[in-house]
Amino acid sequence: MGGWRVKAKEALAQMSIAARFLCLLHVANNYLVSPTLVYGPSMLPTLNLTGDVVLSEHFSHRFGRVRPGDLVLLRLPVDPAKIAIKRIVGMEGDRVTFFDSNATDLLQTLVVPKGHVWIQGDNPYASRDSRHFGPVPYGLIQGRAFLRVWPLSSFGSLEQ
Amino acid sequence: MGVRNNVTVFLNFAKEGFDKAVLVGKLCCCVHVVNTYFCSVVLAYGPSMLPTISTSSSLLLAERFSHRFNKVDPGDIVILRSPEVPRKIVTKRVIGLEGDRVTYVVDPNNSDKSDTVVVPKGHIWIEGDNIYNSYDSRNFGAVPFGLLQGKVFWRIWPLKDFGSLRRRAK
Repeated sequence: MGGWRVKAKEALAQMSIAARFLCLLHVANNYLVSPTLVYGPSMLPTLNLTGDVVLSEHFSHRFGRVRPGDLVLLRLPVDPAKIAIKRIVGMEGDRVTFFDSNATDLLQTLVVPKGHVWIQGDNPYASRDSRHFGPVPYGLIQGRAFLRVWPLSSFGSLEQ
Repeated sequence: MGVRNNVTVFLNFAKEGFDKAVLVGKLCCCVHVVNTYFCSVVLAYGPSMLPTISTSSSLLLAERFSHRFNKVDPGDIVILRSPEVPRKIVTKRVIGLEGDRVTYVVDPNNSDKSDTVVVPKGHIWIEGDNIYNSYDSRNFGAVPFGLLQGKVFWRIWPLKDFGSLRRRAK
């Protein structure tokens, strides 16, 4: 009769340990550092086509410490469910020059508006970025990638 | 001997202090989780949502999960990160979702001219209820859905206006 009570207590204790571990993992992932698998051709040659695991920190952008040249994770303005990794080319107030996405020999210049950033993929031929959907609000930035951990042959810092 | 006693007392004191600090830390964590993922209290001020929300400070309750499941509809009052000042959270009403055709008065203080726009994919059109004094999508354009932080559903202060802020029946 009391057997199942003891077992239930034990199960609850184990579950609470698991829950606390998941909490810690969640906090670390969202506010400290998290690993992310990124893939696609838009950041060649910096990141591989078939996928890299990068470590990204999630606190610099909360203090405004994001600079041109940083690799950032951000929510795409055209698809809020997707998170992409791109490089920041200009901050608010900067004048950016780029080749028009439609007519690739036409050079365009614009000033990045307040509260926005201009992002581009390192591979301009296969990247949908600010040249297509315009400057991105700073609030969409989720984190800053600083270290590649997989594949091991290209383990190393992503800073410039 | 007196010294050892003192050291023991101090260590006990320090341990107790540490335990209390851990407890406070856990409480803060709990509050933070509830705030970010369930429901949070929003301090709203300013004239842009008159007459729905008064100019002087009001406390509103906003739930923080509908927008993660795309359950935001025109007519909802939402909180979102301002596209121009990323640290600021603003309260506005959703007028149109992606694909909707929105007609708005460009500058109601000076003219009757109105404009129509189709809300682009992944964006929403927001306006304050007080179009004469609101800085919203008519000024900075459609905002990406990713900037939404939550949906306001209840007002808790001032007490005379305590009650639901659910969507107006259209």
